[in-house]
Parts: sequence; structure tokens; C-alpha cells
Amino acid sequence: MKTTLAGCGGLFFLSSEAKGQETKIVESRGKERKFVYRTLGRTGLKLPVINMGVMNSDNPNLIRAALDSGMVLLDTAHGYMGGRNEETIGSVIKGRPRDSYMIGSKVSLPQDRSTGLYLEGATMEEFLRKLDISLKRLGVDHVEILYHHGVSRKESVVHEPVLKAMEKAKKEGKIRFAGISTHMNEPEVVHATVDSKFYDVILVAYNYQQKHLSEVRSAIARASQAGIGIVGMKAIRGGHRQTPSVQSAAAALKWVLQDPNVHTIVPGFTAFEEMETDLAVLENPNLTEDEKKALQKEASLTSLYCQGCRQCLNQCRDHLPIPDLMRAYMYTYDYRNLALAQDLVLSLNLASRACQDCSQCSVKCSVGFNVPAKIKDVVRLKDVPSEFIA
Amino acid sequence: MLGIVGFLWSPWAQAADFKFPSVNDWKQADNIQAFDSSTLYEYIDGGADLYLAYDFEELKVAEYQNDKKASVTVDVYRHRTPTHAFGIYSQERFPGANFIEVGVQGYQEKHALNFLSGNTYVKITSYDTGPEDQAVLLSFAKAVAGNLGEKGAFPSLLAAFPAEGKVKNSEKFMVRKFLGYPFLHSAFSADYEVSGKNFRLFIIEGKDQADCRDMMEKYLEQLGMKDKTVAEGQYTLSDAYHGEIDLHWRGARIWGILDLGDPGLRSKYSKLFEQELQKRK
Repeated sequence: MKTTLAGCGGLFFLSSEAKGQETKIVESRGKERKFVYRTLGRTGLKLPVINMGVMNSDNPNLIRAALDSGMVLLDTAHGYMGGRNEETIGSVIKGRPRDSYMIGSKVSLPQDRSTGLYLEGATMEEFLRKLDISLKRLGVDHVEILYHHGVSRKESVVHEPVLKAMEKAKKEGKIRFAGISTHMNEPEVVHATVDSKFYDVILVAYNYQQKHLSEVRSAIARASQAGIGIVGMKAIRGGHRQTPSVQSAAAALKWVLQDPNVHTIVPGFTAFEEMETDLAVLENPNLTEDEKKALQKEASLTSLYCQGCRQCLNQCRDHLPIPDLMRAYMYTYDYRNLALAQDLVLSLNLASRACQDCSQCSVKCSVGFNVPAKIKDVVRLKDVPSEFIA
Repeated sequence: MLGIVGFLWSPWAQAADFKFPSVNDWKQADNIQAFDSSTLYEYIDGGADLYLAYDFEELKVAEYQNDKKASVTVDVYRHRTPTHAFGIYSQERFPGANFIEVGVQGYQEKHALNFLSGNTYVKITSYDTGPEDQAVLLSFAKAVAGNLGEKGAFPSLLAAFPAEGKVKNSEKFMVRKFLGYPFLHSAFSADYEVSGKNFRLFIIEGKDQADCRDMMEKYLEQLGMKDKTVAEGQYTLSDAYHGEIDLHWRGARIWGILDLGDPGLRSKYSKLFEQELQKRK
């Protein structure tokens, strides 16, 4: 497999084809379409490169349309919509041939939110109890992939009760493959997963705006080379780590799929037009030159965005609401919405000489913003009469 | 400005000042965690997307522990309006749940109790509470509900759904992209089961007649009926994703029936729904 890197400004474009990639002619709602498939690592499961993240959809006809259009894997979790998400999927797959779809679900156990480590109640019995409830809601006797849900620490990757529960569930035929999902501290979790030699699949947040992108990419490559199936998530919406400015969903999806170590992705969609966008990418996941340029432009815009880590809050001598001020800066220079920026600045009730009196700034921004310069710039909006802006 | 004053005087403003209650034999941890729309992901990860769609404003979380090291966590999600709080509650409510009278409505299961009150959605979870689990959860729920003030009621429009054949507690509020179409905004729906047939009634409340016209025009365009004259009245539409839909547009309301092939039953429920809606003009 030959892979080349090209790009600038930290955003790389890879020219390569995944091992085991193939094109299949698929019956898609009465039409024949050619969809790109890849093999999910050592599981051997052949999957379209885009499947459905069901998470936020309560619309059975949308899920039905996704399956009828050629998507195969439905990604859900025990906890999504308090269980209604699995129940909705169950109503759709009822009566369908069991080999016409696959299910990836997830079970989580009580964690200390601040440390990511498990609490006392994180037992094998609780994990299996939740799995049984999920199977009942889905109306199936097994799922293809069961993920250990939302892991952010290497210690939690090998939490023994979970490993024992997964082993037992595999033996009893309730799950085919053991997976792990991570959307925080991903590189550490992915490396620990490879080292554990336990898991078959990793579901990992991966997008072109991640600030630790190179570490995520390297970890994914190592896992893939170890034979682990890689499912990408948060390709378009990256949760709190991602800026809100993805202009082209298709380009964002294609960017993830250009990495041959990613075998499929499960973007969440709640509208038919979004599904159609995904299906078009499934036919042709290659980035066009225009899409590459657009992504480069967007990646360069990340310098306008606060990543919301909030580490600065305790560093500022005057306890200024720095994340809010950085948001005002974004409104000013990216959104070009001065009224919105001014409203925000005024709502913060800043002192008259905010950020003017320190000879040296004690704030060390995690993404390298020159915080005092941006604050001094944006607080000028306080003194601009509103009628000049509106 | 008047809108802001109105909010401050509304009963829902109390929720913003909510204080966690003291509960006998339980010690509250010192730190109360708070999350806003930019930090909710830190607490519920990707699940935050759905809450944000329902105009989530703030989450406060308190932990309690007793002498036996059992613990209870209380999450109080505050949304912009009671309708939005009902919406997210309705997305997670199972019609067959074990319902209880707390707030507007609640339900409980092993180690969990959820309830709706005003513009808040409260989720209480327990650990190691032993055989007293359900009683413990209920006592916490009552104490929290007491501090939330005015409990409010279900959205009034829900009363317009005909009672005959309605699946109890199946009503939902979908905040956007109803039917999977971005041009159809929020809608209420309820599930029905009649003579072995399962179907759904829905109603979209537009801002005004023009808003509904805009939705109708876009929907007809979606269905390849761009040239059809758009006027108030009844439509029977063939939707590639949803099958045949009976749709009615009058004034600022669009309502209809989904997933029901039987024309006789469709006609019956169209009339029943219209009669109920006319009572609530």
C-alpha cells in the first residue's frame, strides 16, 4: 500500500487506497449504485464506508431508508435517548433478514466524570444486565459489535469487570466482536487498546479540526496495523472540541475516509437530505480539489476558535471570562457578526479597563492564542454605539 | 426588553435559582457542578447534541452519600421553555414505564428516576441503595420537585389528540426537522393502536399562516409537486419515505396522519382530530 502525504498548514491529504477496499453494486431504493466497501480489520466484516449513527434520530422511516439505501451498520448505545434509540431500531429491523443489517451498540458503567476512572458500581453483572436490556429493546439475540462505551483513560481500557463481561457475552453468542469507544484523550486510549490485545474494533472521534490530530492519526494507524477494525465518529460534529464551522459535510466525511486505516464511519443524520449527502460520498469518497481547498481554508480558521478547554479561567489574575471573550472574537472575525459580538461583550459586564493593567499576562492558552491581544481587540466593541453596528 | 422582563417574572425563572434540597440521612457533596451549552459535552459527551437541540440552558449536578456509602446523583437540566423540557423528556420516556406523580409526570426504574417539572428535566440515579432503592429515589424526587416551584403542565396542545386508540404516554415534541425534513420545523405527535393497526397523528404549529404556506410549498416541492397550487385544505400525499400521508393545513396549523394505509380509518381520525383542534382554536 503506497501512501503519500501532501498539504500545508497542518492539514494533510493522503493519496491512497485502503487494503481490502472494493466497490460493490448495491440495490439502493430501486436504483443500482456503486458503493465503496472496506473490511473492518480482523473482524472480516465487509462494510460500506459510511453507515448510520442513529443516536439522535427518533424517525423509524429514516433508519428504514438508510438500510434500504445500502447502509448496513446501525450505530447506537444502551444510553441513547434513555433506551428509546435502541427500541426504535428494534421496530425497524423487526422482520428483516438478520444478515441484511448489523448492529453496533455500547454499554457504559459508572465513571468518575472528572478522572474517567470507574466507580465501585462498575461491575461485570451491571454490564451484562445492560447488555441484556439492550438486546431485548433491539429484539435480537446478538449484536455484531458491543463497545465499551466512552473510555478516556488507559486504566479503564482494561477494567477487568468489562473484559470479563465481554468474554462471557462472546461465549454466550450475545456479541460477535468486542469494541471500545473513545472521544476524549483518544491517543492514550487507542494505544492502550492495542496493547491490551483484547478488542476487535475501536470507535474513535476523528476529524480534520482536532487539535491533537497527528497523535490521533498515528494511534489509529498503529491500531489498524495491529488488525483492529477502525470506525470513525464525529467526522462532522466533533462535540466540544470542534469548531462549529464545517461548511461541507461531504468534504469532512471524505477527509476521514481518505485515511486508509479508517474502515467505516458512522455520521449521525436526522434528515433525508443529510442521508443523501452521505450516500453520494459512499459512491465517491475522493476529495475534489475544490473540497481540499475548502478544508484547508477551514482548518486555517481554527486559529479563530477557542477550543473551550477552560484552562485559562484560573490563570487570569482578574478572572476574566476568557472563553466568552474568545467567542466574541470569533463572532467578529469569522462570523462577521458585530452585533452578536457586541451583545456578548456587553453581557459580560466587564470592568472599564479590562485587560489593560497587567504588565505581563499569566494566561497560557492551550492552543497558543495571544489572549490579551485578542481581548484588547474585541473589548473595543463596548465603546461603539450600537446604532453603528446594527 | 419586554420579553426579558416577562421571562424574569415567569414561574420558570425560579428554576434558574434552584437550590438542591437537604435530604434526611444523606450528605450532599460540597461541590455542585454546573454546565452550560458550551460545556454540556464534558458531562454527557455526544448525548449533548439532542439536549442542545431542545434549547438546553443549564445543568446542575449534585452528589449525595449516606453512612452506608450508597450514593445518589441528581441532574437538573434547565431548558428555555416548558415545551422544550417536555420535548427532551418525551424523547426518553417509554410509554410502558412505571409512571409516578412527581412534577408534571415522572417514572422510575431500578437505580433511576426521571421527571418533568416546568422548564426542567430532572434525572436521578442511585448506586448501592439496596432494597430501599425505589423509596430513596422517590424521596429525592419529591424533595427536588419541592424546590423547583411551580410544576406547570403538559403542553396544552396535547389535549387535542383524540383519546380513542391513543397509546398512553406516547406523545412527543420534536423540535426540528420533523419527518426528516429541515423545512418542517417543530411538531407534536402521538402514537395510536386501533384494530391491530399502528399509526401516528401529528400537528405542526407554525408562526402564522405564511409560515405554514412556506412549509407546505417546500413539502410539495420535495414531493415533486412544485406546480400544485398551495391552498388551505386537505392533501393526500405520496411520500417516498413515509408512504401515503393525509395532511391538513388551516391557518397556522398543519396536521396529519402517518403510517396508516386504511382510508376509512384515516378519514375517521382526520375528522376526530379536526374536531378536537376546533375546540382549541
